[in-house]
Amino acid sequence: MSELEQISTAILQGEEEKAPKLVNRALRRKVSAKDILENGLLVGMGEVGVRFRAGDMFVPEVLMSAEAMRASMELLRPELISEGVKLVGKILMGTVKGDLHDIGKSLVNMMCEGAGFEVIDLGFNAAPEKFVEAIKEHQPQIVGMSAMLTTTMRAMGYTIKAIDEAGLRDRLKIMVGGAPVDAEFAKRIGADGYGSNAPAGAELAKQFAGAA
Amino acid sequence: MRTNYRMNSGVRFQMLSDDQLEEMFWGVLHLLEHTGLDVKHEQARDILEKAGAWVDGERVRIPSYLVKESLRMAPRSFTLYARDGNHKHDIRIGPGRAHFGPGPTCPNFIDVETMERRPYVNSDVPAVAKMVDALPNIDFCESLGTVSDVHHDLGALYEFAGMFPNTSKPIVAWSYDQHDSAGIHQIAVAEAGGQRAFEQRPNYVHYCEPLSPLVSTFEALDKLIFAAKHRIPLIFTPCPIAGGTAPVTAAGIITQGAAESWMGLTVAQALQPGLPFFMGGVYSVMDMSAMILAYGAPELPLFMAGVTELAHYAGLPLWQTGGCTDSKCFDGQAVIEGSMSVFFSALTGGDLCHDVGYTESAMTGSVFQLCAMDEAIGYSRRIARGIEVNDDTLAVNVIQDVGPNGHYLKEKHTRRHFKSEFWYPNLLDRQDFESWEMTGGLTLKDRTAARVRDILATHSPAPIKPETEKAIEKVLAQAEERVQE
Repeated sequence: MSELEQISTAILQGEEEKAPKLVNRALRRKVSAKDILENGLLVGMGEVGVRFRAGDMFVPEVLMSAEAMRASMELLRPELISEGVKLVGKILMGTVKGDLHDIGKSLVNMMCEGAGFEVIDLGFNAAPEKFVEAIKEHQPQIVGMSAMLTTTMRAMGYTIKAIDEAGLRDRLKIMVGGAPVDAEFAKRIGADGYGSNAPAGAELAKQFAGAA
Repeated sequence: MRTNYRMNSGVRFQMLSDDQLEEMFWGVLHLLEHTGLDVKHEQARDILEKAGAWVDGERVRIPSYLVKESLRMAPRSFTLYARDGNHKHDIRIGPGRAHFGPGPTCPNFIDVETMERRPYVNSDVPAVAKMVDALPNIDFCESLGTVSDVHHDLGALYEFAGMFPNTSKPIVAWSYDQHDSAGIHQIAVAEAGGQRAFEQRPNYVHYCEPLSPLVSTFEALDKLIFAAKHRIPLIFTPCPIAGGTAPVTAAGIITQGAAESWMGLTVAQALQPGLPFFMGGVYSVMDMSAMILAYGAPELPLFMAGVTELAHYAGLPLWQTGGCTDSKCFDGQAVIEGSMSVFFSALTGGDLCHDVGYTESAMTGSVFQLCAMDEAIGYSRRIARGIEVNDDTLAVNVIQDVGPNGHYLKEKHTRRHFKSEFWYPNLLDRQDFESWEMTGGLTLKDRTAARVRDILATHSPAPIKPETEKAIEKVLAQAEERVQE
């Protein structure tokens, strides 16, 4: 098995310790970071996506792969930057104000990290002004919002309004999700897209980043 | 008491009390000793008389000590073997183990392509056997039909010849007479590698059916004698109908049905001590307006649970019934009736539960019903497996590690257990609305039809030995010659 095949296999099998080690070894052997990303890591995660959609892999296994991917990307990111490779992108994520639900948003985070994104997590109960401040600080290409309750989903609309009023809306793609949310609601509050589950959220982010 | 604590994780289910069971047990013995049965087979009457029964014309009464002696001789635990040595296809009969399979002899079949009802034909046999071989929760094979397009005396033989190469799961074989039984046995023995090898690793069970009320027919006993002589595990299964051919009350039908089975048991054990023997069968009600034997009535699983508990009390395995329906098509009724009876059957641990895939009150066999019931059986088995309680499953440490508002998705504990703790459906849909719509908005019927057709197009069962193929050809050729005469 070639070096890059070993890396993609380690990602597919969710080996979070072995995968970064293999990446390190490849870098020492002067394999380019771009090559490692595109022909190693992303090949593995691509196969994870295929198997998950076919029902052959389950969420805890996908998360193991995402963990392996995240750990590998941490190593690889500085190398990619120094090679001048355009990164997939940066996502700012949070559960909106008034809502303490964390797990759905964390799942989307892990899936996005697995797809190669850098994810900034605002946690839960994040107020509109917190989103605005963080956008100014981190300059993400994508903002993701989550709400679990019909009572808190309205805060998504308020947050988008606040981003708009701060003059930041045009440079961003905004995606929303959570149990009570649907595509119709996403459209009504002016979001760019909606994901019905965590893998769909990561797919949407990839589309926004032009990486799909 | 924490002895065997890990073993006792299944669902506790018992319907009848020990006192009730004892009363029924003595009721059966009383019936056999004082009323007796008509035994329409001279050789069987001789065997019974020699063993200690009282014969008066055709009527045979059995003293209770003799019945108890026969019960003592019959094993409670034994194995039915896959013909190809695949242990996953073996059936281990014993306490707490419920197994499932189709039933025999429906005149009609739901066509796999058109989903329309039509007569059952010879080419349907391999399809049913392949489905049985592939479905994970179906454990033994019957054909779901009587072959209509061969000589009318040879249906059972062609059926076995079609099933045997297309599944390695144990088969339950019925027959018209001893000729059929002999042909079937030749095929099974060829594969096993001789009579002795067959006796050590039986790969099929012989099924015979006495008549209610209280008649052991010539055919049933003739086949029983053949099976006992060749040490073929045996099912002796009456089909009493409450209010018609049996008392209207649950306790009454169970008592009479058990007496009918135990007459067969006594003959079998007298001929072949220790022969594996299943009492049976199909106990249900006569619907007093439609005049049918109801396969979807709640009394069927209720009666069957009662007779299962009586069988186990007496130390015998049971030929259970479930997964069947009175519905004429694949609809909500078919799924409700079938699912309720397989769930109840799984709880009772009735040893071989047959008639999975029967529709229209046993008039029509359906692999679609069989495939949907495979799902219901998987679902039921998960519940019947119960809750395992130990330090690891209590997960107190894991809960502490995760803490308030954390999550368990990345925990090693989750990864270690999520596949065994949860049951995953093959047919039931749990997608969110968008994904469901995107994948075609399919109904259970659509998904079941797709799975059936997919299995039939792709599944290949383990092959039989070349000498068995020759044995099948020879047996069928001889049978065709016999019916020409």
